[in-house]
Amino acid sequence: MDILKELVAKEINRRDFTKLCAAVAAVFGMPKAFSKDIAFAAENAMKKPAVIWLEGQDCAGCSESLLASINPSVAEIVLDTLSIRYHETIMAGSGYVAEKAREDTIKEGGYVLVVEGSIPTADDRFCMIAEKPFREILLETAKNAAVIIAVGSCATFSGGIPGATPSKGRGVTHFIKDKPVINLPSCPLKPSRLVATVMYFLASGKAPEMDKYGRPLAFYSTLLHENCPRRGHFERGEFVTDWNDSGQREYCLLLKGCKGPKTYTDCAQVWWNDGANFCINAGAPCSGCSQPEFYNVFSPLYEKQQTFNIGPNTTVNLDTVGRTMMGVAGAGVIVHGLGRLASKSNDEEE
Amino acid sequence: MVQKIKIDPVTRIEGHLAIEVEVDGGKVTNAWSKGTMFRGFEELLKGRDPRDASYVTDRVCGVCSGSHQWASALCLDDAFDADVPDGGRLVRNLILGAQWLHDHPLHFYHLSALDYIDVMAVAKYKGNDAGLNAVKDKILKLVKAQDTAPLTPRYEPDEFSVDDPELVTMAVAHYLKALEMQAKAKKMGALLGGKMPHSASIVVGGVTMYPEMQYLDQYRSLLTEQTAFIENVYVPDVVTFGTGPLFPLAKAGIGAAAGHYLSFGGFQNSGDKKDLLYPAGVVIDSDLKNIKAVDTDLIKEYVKHAWYDDNKGLHPSQGETAVNPDKKDAYSFIKSPRYEGRAMEVGPLARMLVAQPDAFMKLVVDYGVKPGAVARHAARAVETLALTQQILKWLDELTVLVASGKCEIHATATWEGPESGTGVGLTEAPRGALGHWIKIKDKKIENYQLVVPSTWNLSPRDDSGVLGPVEQALIGAPVPDVENPINLVRIVRSFDPCISCAVHVIEPNSNRILKFKIG
Repeated sequence: MDILKELVAKEINRRDFTKLCAAVAAVFGMPKAFSKDIAFAAENAMKKPAVIWLEGQDCAGCSESLLASINPSVAEIVLDTLSIRYHETIMAGSGYVAEKAREDTIKEGGYVLVVEGSIPTADDRFCMIAEKPFREILLETAKNAAVIIAVGSCATFSGGIPGATPSKGRGVTHFIKDKPVINLPSCPLKPSRLVATVMYFLASGKAPEMDKYGRPLAFYSTLLHENCPRRGHFERGEFVTDWNDSGQREYCLLLKGCKGPKTYTDCAQVWWNDGANFCINAGAPCSGCSQPEFYNVFSPLYEKQQTFNIGPNTTVNLDTVGRTMMGVAGAGVIVHGLGRLASKSNDEEE
Repeated sequence: MVQKIKIDPVTRIEGHLAIEVEVDGGKVTNAWSKGTMFRGFEELLKGRDPRDASYVTDRVCGVCSGSHQWASALCLDDAFDADVPDGGRLVRNLILGAQWLHDHPLHFYHLSALDYIDVMAVAKYKGNDAGLNAVKDKILKLVKAQDTAPLTPRYEPDEFSVDDPELVTMAVAHYLKALEMQAKAKKMGALLGGKMPHSASIVVGGVTMYPEMQYLDQYRSLLTEQTAFIENVYVPDVVTFGTGPLFPLAKAGIGAAAGHYLSFGGFQNSGDKKDLLYPAGVVIDSDLKNIKAVDTDLIKEYVKHAWYDDNKGLHPSQGETAVNPDKKDAYSFIKSPRYEGRAMEVGPLARMLVAQPDAFMKLVVDYGVKPGAVARHAARAVETLALTQQILKWLDELTVLVASGKCEIHATATWEGPESGTGVGLTEAPRGALGHWIKIKDKKIENYQLVVPSTWNLSPRDDSGVLGPVEQALIGAPVPDVENPINLVRIVRSFDPCISCAVHVIEPNSNRILKFKIG
């Protein structure tokens, strides 16, 4: 008996469900007909996919972000779409009851493994659950997983903020080398990305197309800067210097530290919290939280960035780039290229 | 015979917590617990641009998200000598206010309720209410599919568990409604914060988001919906349960700590830093007639039983965080903050006992609800209600300010920060008193320390053997069935722990029920 079937059986929910499937197809750039495949696969699934959600060195922010989903609603995700067998922040059971649920699901196999939070490399004792190092829990849970999805900046790459602490937190790919890992970085996880990725996996049985960092191209293929609503002001060299100045309200945030020119994300197109807002629209510089350089390389986050290095020999002053030196097109190309270079250098570091 | 129970992990809290207790004659006599996760934010911050602190510390917690950003911004405002304009203060209040509206009901319905209701009693619902029957159908379908995760597996319901089919079905309906409402409350916060959790807008000197009228209108409409839910669903549910089926727990004061309460106070109503929605104050030995002023010089953090290099007990402004997982006699990554040597309970109960609003004192006096697990839930509900009313006032005030065209949101002149200086930021997070301390040298952070609510509540013993509030609260807890220690998780969760936390060896000499000194 599948709750998705029930969902589908009801007229009103049928519409929502079809909409959701169409949205998933659209976000992965699949032809419209593919949404039928998704619906078909979901409807025909014998049961809801089992999910084990592990939390390492985390703040539960990614879990909270999943719970911030409005379309689809949290109840649809948590109760109707997924069978969440283990999730420390929401599950009923504690202690051995909880751990047994995880062990039983591992025995069953074929589950979706979601990992939130980093794994300490300085000392196993910095993250212990049920008297076991979290690192071991991750490895034993990864073994029988159908798919592994690392969510948020801590579980990906070099561990985001905990990666820069003495505990030396690292992302999942630091430990899992023999299986594909889908990385969904950002701080916190953007819930629509996880829902769409899981639905896509259920429908197609495979991971979506990804970039060299294991990020689905559907969400991470363009520089934020390219789609930034403030892009025009960047090209005119108009930068926010005073948040009180109504004349500057839509200006570029580069001088406030914005990492938009170095960051691949769909934030400018897909806003947060049911489309309510996103950092740059809120006047806050992008922190680059979906990049491997977050946090350590990108810190300080708010410092005035007047000079950019492009390659080994070229330095560009952004105060003048928009107005005189390079002209409009030049500035765009250079900063675009800079983003690619920044990503490349980090790749080599990895 | 002494029996030992180990609960690891304690779920439905933020962070990684393990509890061990000894039970003798059906009651807890000894308790151990381990805060089992360390990240080291304070060390990370050393040498950084001070302005990074509000961004970074917000990531300490994604549940009370915004609270650390706020405390850190207040701390930086102090160090930078930034005079936050009214618009900035009001936008901060509205972001955090929305956060609390999300946080308190979520704690009640999604983190706690499963300890108090037997969800499966829904199957026995026989009424005609279409909505409740839909809930029944929903749960029955999960049962039929043999897939009731995450509602099961669980500890089995006990004598305090509510199993009245009508009441339970209503509670489950509200559990589902509250899921929707907490998501919408996050949206409210995101309207002015950029996103939620981990809003982007709060920085030293104020906020980055200018509150355009269209955003305030959206905020207002969501606030109306939240207020209706809190007035008509959340508060009545807490009162119904607390004075009904859970009254025996409430009257017995199960889960009471030592009777010392601390509130730093929070939510500035005006430019005057002392004009606060929740006042600051200290209660010692349950003496509610004598609310003392907070003197932060009396705070010291001890680490004898925490995995950090030993020191003599330091004021947070001088604090150290040198991690040392090899240390003998240590069992936790949580330090032990003390106020004049006392383990202070912080959080909604502390705030309500300091503020003593009629609505809460009525519950205490008229119904005889004693401090303990149920009283904490009641305090949380009462203060949420008060907050909704105040948020509306702040929103009206901000709307007028924006309409006047004179709304300023940021103290721009001080943005680059001082060469050197110190700062302190004290406020209230949903879980209690929150303090940040900074020392700046050569425009970089020289030292940064946080004392968070759950450090107070879940601290291990200090150097003189004084137990932490949760440790004390567990002593004497009834555990009739060691296989099913549901009361222990009820007590721990009533504090709404928000970090990895620890409880350790306790001497069973304080098995007492506290009484308030009123009149």
